[in-house]
Amino acid sequence: MKGKGSLFCKGLILTVGLIFCMTTAASAADTIRIGVAGPFTGDAAAYGDNIKAGVSLKLKEINGAGGINGKKVEIVWGDDLCQPKEGGTVASKFANDKKMVAVIGHVCSSATLAGMPIYVRAKMPVISATSTNETIGHVGKGWFFRNCYTDDFQGEYLASHVVKELLGLKRVGIFYENNDYAIGLKDSFVKGAQDSGLQVTGTEAYMKGATDFTPQLTKLLRDDPETLFLCGYHLEGALIAGQARKLGFEGPLFGGDGIDNADYIEIGGEAADNTYMTVPFLAQAAGPEGQKFAEDYKEENGRDVDWMSANAYDCMGILAYVIEKVGADREKIREGLAAINSPEKGYEGVTGLTYFNEVGDCFKPAFVKKVEGGKFVPAE
Amino acid sequence: MFTQQLVNGLTIGGIYALIAVGYTMVYGVIQLINFAHGEVYMLGAFFAATFIMVMGMPFYMAFILAMACGAICGMLLDVIAYRPLRRSPRLACLITAIGMSIFLQNLAMLIWGSRPKPFPSQSLPEWFNTTWVFSHFRLTGFHLFVFGVTIIMMVGLNLLIKKTRFGKAMRAVAQNKTMAALAGINVNKVITLTFAVAGSMGAAAGLLVGAYYNSLYPTMGYVAGVKAFAAAVLGGIGSVPGAMLGGIVLGVAEAMGAGYLSSLYRDGISYGVMILVIVFIPAGFFGVVIKETKKSI
Amino acid sequence: MDQKISNSSKLKIALLILALVLPAFPFVSQHMLHIIILIYLYMILALGLNIIPGFNGLLDLGFVGFYGIGAYTSGLLTYHFGMSYWMIMPLAFLNGALWGVLLGAPTLRLTGDYFAIVTFGFSELVVLFLTNEIWLTRGPLGLPGILPPSIDLSWFGGPVWEFQGELPYYYLAIVMVLGTVFVMHRIQDSRLGRAWFAIRDDEVAAVSCGINLLVYKVIAFGTSAAFGALGGSFFARWVTFLSPDMFKFWESFLVLCMVVLGGMGNIWGVMVGAAVLVSLSEVLREVLSAVGLPVEIRFLAFGLIMVLVMRYRPAGLMPIPAVAAQMRAGRVKRKKVKTAVS
Repeated sequence: MKGKGSLFCKGLILTVGLIFCMTTAASAADTIRIGVAGPFTGDAAAYGDNIKAGVSLKLKEINGAGGINGKKVEIVWGDDLCQPKEGGTVASKFANDKKMVAVIGHVCSSATLAGMPIYVRAKMPVISATSTNETIGHVGKGWFFRNCYTDDFQGEYLASHVVKELLGLKRVGIFYENNDYAIGLKDSFVKGAQDSGLQVTGTEAYMKGATDFTPQLTKLLRDDPETLFLCGYHLEGALIAGQARKLGFEGPLFGGDGIDNADYIEIGGEAADNTYMTVPFLAQAAGPEGQKFAEDYKEENGRDVDWMSANAYDCMGILAYVIEKVGADREKIREGLAAINSPEKGYEGVTGLTYFNEVGDCFKPAFVKKVEGGKFVPAE
Repeated sequence: MFTQQLVNGLTIGGIYALIAVGYTMVYGVIQLINFAHGEVYMLGAFFAATFIMVMGMPFYMAFILAMACGAICGMLLDVIAYRPLRRSPRLACLITAIGMSIFLQNLAMLIWGSRPKPFPSQSLPEWFNTTWVFSHFRLTGFHLFVFGVTIIMMVGLNLLIKKTRFGKAMRAVAQNKTMAALAGINVNKVITLTFAVAGSMGAAAGLLVGAYYNSLYPTMGYVAGVKAFAAAVLGGIGSVPGAMLGGIVLGVAEAMGAGYLSSLYRDGISYGVMILVIVFIPAGFFGVVIKETKKSI
Repeated sequence: MDQKISNSSKLKIALLILALVLPAFPFVSQHMLHIIILIYLYMILALGLNIIPGFNGLLDLGFVGFYGIGAYTSGLLTYHFGMSYWMIMPLAFLNGALWGVLLGAPTLRLTGDYFAIVTFGFSELVVLFLTNEIWLTRGPLGLPGILPPSIDLSWFGGPVWEFQGELPYYYLAIVMVLGTVFVMHRIQDSRLGRAWFAIRDDEVAAVSCGINLLVYKVIAFGTSAAFGALGGSFFARWVTFLSPDMFKFWESFLVLCMVVLGGMGNIWGVMVGAAVLVSLSEVLREVLSAVGLPVEIRFLAFGLIMVLVMRYRPAGLMPIPAVAAQMRAGRVKRKKVKTAVS
């Protein structure tokens, strides 16, 4: 009995002691600390990697130029595995860090939704580069901003502009991933398709992590669509493209910003050709600043820039711009972000002119690009 | 469409079968659900891609070397992680398996990065891309290669178990370790070799999947492992022919389910079939009904 | 003997007092409270799961299914009907028990690992159901904005006090852990508990003593599921957001690891297991960044530590005396399974 008790005691003391150790975070005195939350391990780690690349590039530029108002910027990376539970823990860690003035993240909407109540309570402004779920704005109560399309806009744009005008096609098969991003995008596309008089020949779904899509594709292709909507992310998109070509589908493919990634071409190979996608950033259409960003990015990371990285780069840029104006303080940063509410006051980043509405959703231009000969080129 | 779905199902089913065999063999000898097996499968794919890309090896040679590496991984797994726990409660082994699975997955992520990698498809032999178009379905050389490899391996494995001394020793160890040891069999060696065979089959499956879908990523072992595990149960866990049949039945059932029922419940079909089989025929297709007096802990 | 027992209960009382006054210390931040609440939550889950492998000697790989059922029961009732947490808690508890019995009754006659595999399949089906039945659960879109619990005293003119910050949750979690521990202790010493231990130690002997195996196992499974659901109901109202990917297979593993790591069958050991594993992942987060290692290495270390603990403490940190004695004597015999490798 005694042995048991003392071991229990030791175990608990050890645990509690370790937790107490966690408060230490010694760092240079005069820095501006910003948290970046995303999946850096686990099965969504590739997305976190994109965010990390984008933020790091901007960070290097800012600190290379002497920081913001003379203060260097310091980043704390918080790994949330794209899981809501971990998202909440990271959020509470960030919220508790008195020196932290803003958060970039999270990547997955579910993690953002779990963290938002904690951020609101701690009055921490959050800006996400990728969380598209429409409900976050309401949970965020003014503390949440996002630098990415909402699903509504993109889906309708794809239907009316890309399919109807650019491709001039009518019969569409939809293949969507069963997650919040793709469901939102699919629903708004279907709505847009009805308005534009397109015909949806079939709708199939897949789960994240699947590699074999041939059964669903066989079913979709039986109805003979002219084009396929890859409604999801780039890895699955590339696999679907390859398998669709193997099954003899030769028409064009299209998708939202989710499939914009150099890996899409890398993995899809020849099958990726003739794919159209909407993107917030297009090097060829961008100004000299954007061109330089695309080049720097390639030099730094050895791959073409993707939408997540571009959005993350601009998130960091927007924060730096606001902090420079109002100073490093959570509430002031929130006010500063909320003040970017019209095109005139917008932030001109590489992803175009960005400004927020009252729930933190942003408006920004969309470009269309396509894959041709293993390269991204402008479609128009 | 039916024929095409059958071809789809048989291809993926053959691959499930290759992985399932690994689960079932290990379970047969030490009653351990080796959750790290999916990671060996993933490592096999990465090894092959590395051999081809970094060392410029031809495809067939990389295939054989990847299988050898899979075998070594399996052996190391046993020697380092499981052998010290032979006399411990079984759940300790299970937790170790889970720990190794997490460890290997993250190790692969550190070495090769978390981004999905393409398989060096230019190294694949020409005839893989040949396509035959029939009235109702299409078949590529790669399909034939997957079928061929699956069949050869299954036949080879059966011969290994039935006709060789090692196979005999393995069956003896599976039945009763104490008696096997008394008969002069080095039980530990047999178990390690079983892990080696299982590992090489897993690595082969990983390579086939990587090349067939042209993508590799560190977390690919999880879903495939779970599916193959279901297949092993379906066939009767512990039975090698059962695992083969289970894999193929599961692959076809999934393809048909996704094709004719709901694609959202595609994975549900595997688990649903698995539960029904266990409840109604607990021994699976081929397993022997187990009369246990002790429980699983 | 008396002296020793009172020593151990002194320790328990000291720990309880420490837990109660902990938030008053100046160095205890909201973040730390958050993590300690997480530890309490996993204590409830681990204690619930412990009934199956620890008290009954069965393997359960699908515990997270009941956790998910409880969480969604709580979340949906709040979301659609705005019910009070104090009403939801027993409902979720009963719903968990119901599903536990429904799953257990037909499958508990299966022996050994077959039962484990059924539970695994069941939990995966629960996740698929939560993901795909969008009309009910909103599927992958998740259930945001679940109201936090509140204490409504307005019926006799008192105030309505809504939970804010981590502090009220902290005390709620302590109460729930204490309740769970109390119930577990009573069960352990009751006729029911003794029957379970008999089943764990030798089924044949248990049957010959007149224990109805199936009935007792179903009761065990229902109870375990109910505590899983109880944890889930708290979780839903605490994070105020639910999505199906919170209830993946990995969570089952994590809870099982806590049970095994702490020492199966030992109520205190299981609680230590929960505390160690939850804090390990957070401690690694801090230690790694302090040492200057990249964030990507966290789970590498996590897996390695799990393997090492099992290597050197195969019976867990605090094994129950029977297992410890067996381990010392090296007499733990593997069960003999006649499996045909044909």
